[in-house]
Amino acid sequence: MAQDLLNALTLGSLYLLFALGMSLAWGTIGILNFAHGSIFVFAAFTAHLLVQEVALPMPAMLAVGAAVGAVLSLLVQVLAFEPIQRRATDHRKAEMQILVGGIGIAIIPLAVAQRLTGSVPFGYSAGTFRVSTWDLGFVRLSNVQLVTLVAALGLAAVIGWWLRAARPGLALRAIGVDAEVASMMGVDRRRLALLTMAVAGGLAGLAGVLLTYYLGSIAPETGDAFLLKAFAAIILGGVGSIAGVVIGAMVLAGIETLVLVTTSGTWAPAIAFGVIFLMLLVRPNGLLGRQEVRRT
Amino acid sequence: MVSELQSGRRRVGHGAGALVLVLGVAACSSPGSGSSGGSASGGGGEGGGGLPDTVKVMSVNGLTGPVSFAGTNAQKGVDLAIEQIEADGLLGDTTVEVDYRDSAASPQEAASFASQAIADPSYAAILGPSASASSTAVSPIVDQAGMPTVYVQSGSEGVVIGDYTFRLTPPAASYFDIAGDYAEEQGVTSAAVLFNSGNPTLVQLGEDVVPQLADEHGFEVVSTGGVEATQQDFTTPASQIAGADPDAAFLMVQGPQYPVAITQLRQAGYQGELIGMSAAGAGNLASAGQEAAGFVWPTNFTPDQDDEGTRAFVEAYRAKYDGETPNNYAAEAYDAMWFLARGMAEADSADRAAIQQGLAAVAEEGFDGAQGEITFEGNDARVPGVLVRWDGSAEVPVEAGS
Repeated sequence: MAQDLLNALTLGSLYLLFALGMSLAWGTIGILNFAHGSIFVFAAFTAHLLVQEVALPMPAMLAVGAAVGAVLSLLVQVLAFEPIQRRATDHRKAEMQILVGGIGIAIIPLAVAQRLTGSVPFGYSAGTFRVSTWDLGFVRLSNVQLVTLVAALGLAAVIGWWLRAARPGLALRAIGVDAEVASMMGVDRRRLALLTMAVAGGLAGLAGVLLTYYLGSIAPETGDAFLLKAFAAIILGGVGSIAGVVIGAMVLAGIETLVLVTTSGTWAPAIAFGVIFLMLLVRPNGLLGRQEVRRT
Repeated sequence: MVSELQSGRRRVGHGAGALVLVLGVAACSSPGSGSSGGSASGGGGEGGGGLPDTVKVMSVNGLTGPVSFAGTNAQKGVDLAIEQIEADGLLGDTTVEVDYRDSAASPQEAASFASQAIADPSYAAILGPSASASSTAVSPIVDQAGMPTVYVQSGSEGVVIGDYTFRLTPPAASYFDIAGDYAEEQGVTSAAVLFNSGNPTLVQLGEDVVPQLADEHGFEVVSTGGVEATQQDFTTPASQIAGADPDAAFLMVQGPQYPVAITQLRQAGYQGELIGMSAAGAGNLASAGQEAAGFVWPTNFTPDQDDEGTRAFVEAYRAKYDGETPNNYAAEAYDAMWFLARGMAEADSADRAAIQQGLAAVAEEGFDGAQGEITFEGNDARVPGVLVRWDGSAEVPVEAGS
């Protein structure tokens, strides 16, 4: 039971790590970036290429992943999303074009990674970090599992605090309330949008590297699978709410784990998404959506 | 307040729309006795009328996208086969021209290319896709139109459906008994099964083949669990298997899932035998390294198997591709191209109906190829199979009794 709970928390942390950056950009500057999965994979893949040449420790690998993710995300914003926003005749069209643009852009780094790896999984066995497992009697816990849990919940707490207490975070929330009024109040929307995309991309890169450590290896297509789960977690928790994403990710992982433990497992995604569907019938804005809509 | 709530709902609505769009894209990229009505020919006349100077074949495979690893390796195998066929003089002065089309694992694209080949009389045959989903979309079209089509991989039902459809990759179930022999040799009395519930071949192995092996080789299946098609984290199933602690665990998952599943099973404390299937090959275990050492699986091809045809193929492949060692995808496609050429030689014609007859005749006889001694059940290939073990850095054949 304790092991199942820990497994569910770990799975939820994996979903959360992936979803945090996506949720941040979507909930503040209104960009639902479907290239997030590609950025996640390509940052992890770049770190893999680097560790093949130099045996780096985990902190250095995380820094590489975050840096690559931030740069890629900024490029996507500057080269694709900003031009779309400038040319779109209204906000709704811009949102839809960004969605489609994100899906299109995602194919490029994915194709590069697929080409270079031959779609074979890659990992960081050439690095200095080694997984060790502690048997605590009632539960088995690995060092990478601990890092994943701490990183996911710690990052969620930091981002939540940043949005509520730091000046840039407050300015971002102001954009979420009314972008025009926020601009008139002196908020530099472009600068904050770039900052948000950089942070979101950095989180994607960080998640990519951490997940590769945790899973041992990932394939270029791994981002697609996480994209769907992250999307579900954000919708379930409520768009724009960091606490909502945490709850959404943990609920999704909890249901999946429960189904895996109590049944033959083949129905896990169907039951998990079925429960989410039922929840959304009752609360269309997600579990914490109401408060967030009031706030923004 | 109302407008704010509507705004929130609209955002969720947009997201839901986007999800549908993404699912659509994902669906497009996810995996794998007709009449002889096709009267078009590749330039030859009726059967036995002699081969033209050039015979055109269309290869429809995923050269990009999620199954590009299969498509690109298959292309290398076909190229090598053509080079050898021409050097061998099997088709006299006739040259084989292969037109490679990239279906990117999309069934719609694959079906569209197949239709183009059927409509163009210059194409004599098709080398079919690797992904079952694409192949099952192509088969009804080619069989109805009388276009000889030779597949590799494509392990699901609905691929070999009539006289015009052939498959050179034997179903894993046909040689999986060697895994049962191995389990018995190791004294396995209990086993757990974990399978990917999104792949028909893996479901069949997990739900039918392994339990049947258990009956025949005297062990008991103590747990059977499924994971979703794109499962990334195996922590929970690994903990369950480690908790049950059977003598062996049969993992029937997709290639990229193997290193994760094995690593997490070992981290969960499981020390028993780990047995998989052929998808574990082709370099998929490299990222697991020593963590996967000792993992065994039955396969239709391994570069070091003790067979003359295999040795000749591997040597030629390494010579052509700068020392690169071939994988099963290259070997299967190589055999498929040789099979097609033998069928053409037998027919002595590029007429589609004649080639089908030629292929049927070759299938009746069987031949030695890169996969070893190939025989056929109907239009479906069979090989003895070989058990291989991951030694931490490479796959090596398992000697009987070791």
